[in-house]
Amino acid sequence: MHTGGDLLVIEFGALVLALAIVARLARRIGLPALPLYLLAGLALGEGGLVELDASEDFIEVGAEIGVILMLLMLGLEFSTRELIQNVRRSTLAGVVDVVLNFPPGFVAGLILGFDPIVAVLLGGVTYISSSGIIAKLVADLDRIGNHETSVILSVLVIEDLAMVLYLPIVSGVLFGGSVLSTTLTVAISLGAVLGVLGAAYLLGDRLSAIALSQSSEALLLTLLGGTLLVAGLAGRLNISTAVGAFVVGVALSGDIVSHARGLLLPLRNLFAAVFFVFFGLQVDLNLIPGVAVAALAIAAVTIATKITSGWIAAARAGIGKPGRLRAGAALIAHGEFSIVIAELGIARESDLGALAAVYVIILTLAGALLYQFSDSITLPTRSPRHVRA
Amino acid sequence: MRKVTETDLPGVGIRFDLQTDAGRCVGVVAHQTGRRDLVIYDERDVDRACESVQLTEDEGHTLGELLGGSPVLEHLDDAMHRLEDLVISWVTIAAGSSLAGLTLAEASLRARTGAGVVALVSEAGSIPIPGRDDRLEAGNTAVVVGVPSAVKAATRLLRRPAG
Repeated sequence: MHTGGDLLVIEFGALVLALAIVARLARRIGLPALPLYLLAGLALGEGGLVELDASEDFIEVGAEIGVILMLLMLGLEFSTRELIQNVRRSTLAGVVDVVLNFPPGFVAGLILGFDPIVAVLLGGVTYISSSGIIAKLVADLDRIGNHETSVILSVLVIEDLAMVLYLPIVSGVLFGGSVLSTTLTVAISLGAVLGVLGAAYLLGDRLSAIALSQSSEALLLTLLGGTLLVAGLAGRLNISTAVGAFVVGVALSGDIVSHARGLLLPLRNLFAAVFFVFFGLQVDLNLIPGVAVAALAIAAVTIATKITSGWIAAARAGIGKPGRLRAGAALIAHGEFSIVIAELGIARESDLGALAAVYVIILTLAGALLYQFSDSITLPTRSPRHVRA
Repeated sequence: MRKVTETDLPGVGIRFDLQTDAGRCVGVVAHQTGRRDLVIYDERDVDRACESVQLTEDEGHTLGELLGGSPVLEHLDDAMHRLEDLVISWVTIAAGSSLAGLTLAEASLRARTGAGVVALVSEAGSIPIPGRDDRLEAGNTAVVVGVPSAVKAATRLLRRPAG
């Protein structure tokens, strides 16, 4: 017992230190750290360089907390009012985004011979861009003031909201039993989510006032405890822990938000990294050669469809061509949600894990590079050849 | 006042754009955190911020004053000035205002709007706590204090002819 504990601490310490090196490396070359965390997880998992045994259970719990904290922080960015306004304004952009980016994954899943529900998961993986990575790219490249940025952010908000409906439905279908009981589970969970969002809309201010405390220690414990509890209950009801945590974040508003962000950010950074490593750990390296071609093909298709959907959304907002291309390129990066979705199906179809890992690594790197250099790509479209007479 | 386009940036704040007569576009991003970005847009690619300067809340106020009053304040009441629900605004008195040329007693701004004038600023110098007989001369600046709605109402009266 005693030595087991020591071993766990040693393994976990070495892992976190390895991630620290990876994070520094990512910063040095100017890329998001997420794909490198995934790579680290792959290298340490089944068939990889070193296998972690003692700390695997601990990492699994850490990964679960990582998802919850990521979604809580994402929810904190928005208020319910903002979400509703945004949906009203950008419905069309949101619809175009789904119609173009869900089918590539779904169809690929069917072609690869996955169960229909696993194909639906793969559709989700290709649909959802990474709000976390993209928001950071926009800020790092000093493009918050750019006109297309409001379009990018609106599309991301709609995608995140879509997840609030999508995750409970797929979880219900994946973990439900008969058709009847599944339908019932899905109906109950959707009702619960909408009910909680409604309550958040009406009572969010009061809840936030109750949770607020002068002591940052008490506030941290309240937030963490409350969120884990709600997320855990949501998971139990097959609504998905991620959605539970997101809803808590949305419900909190006002003064508490900035305090909460400051307190939770370091925890989020640690546990989110653990989550991506854990996902990599679960993927059997031997499966990767078998899915690499498919992952590349799906990646190539979604790079095109994401650019198109961003282009259309920006065009509708009256943005010029260079800006439309930037909007499209920005939306390419996939990340946390794609992995959260793939995680759901990894037990059903082990290829899905390997596929999603490779896919996310490709798209995140491609997205970061294309968005960064999208301004130089626009130059040819200004040449006389392309100017309409 | 010139037309300012307002765009929501979900999770970030609000962006304000102003098109100049000379054909340039400048903007301000008001972050929820209080940070302000002053943005200058590219001449050829008008959607691209070619220059973006980060300002703290305090620096933003100072720059606003340097540029002459801060008309945008009207739009920012909630985000910016929730501090104890009091707003301070620097208002240039318009020549066409129905109050121009009146003494503070004659204008009775406080009775009409609920906002008080705590200082009058002119090129000749400023009057920190103006009395009943000090005049609201066109072109001078009145420093108005009150709850947001009152300051808004007072600003409207000082800027435009009564409608």
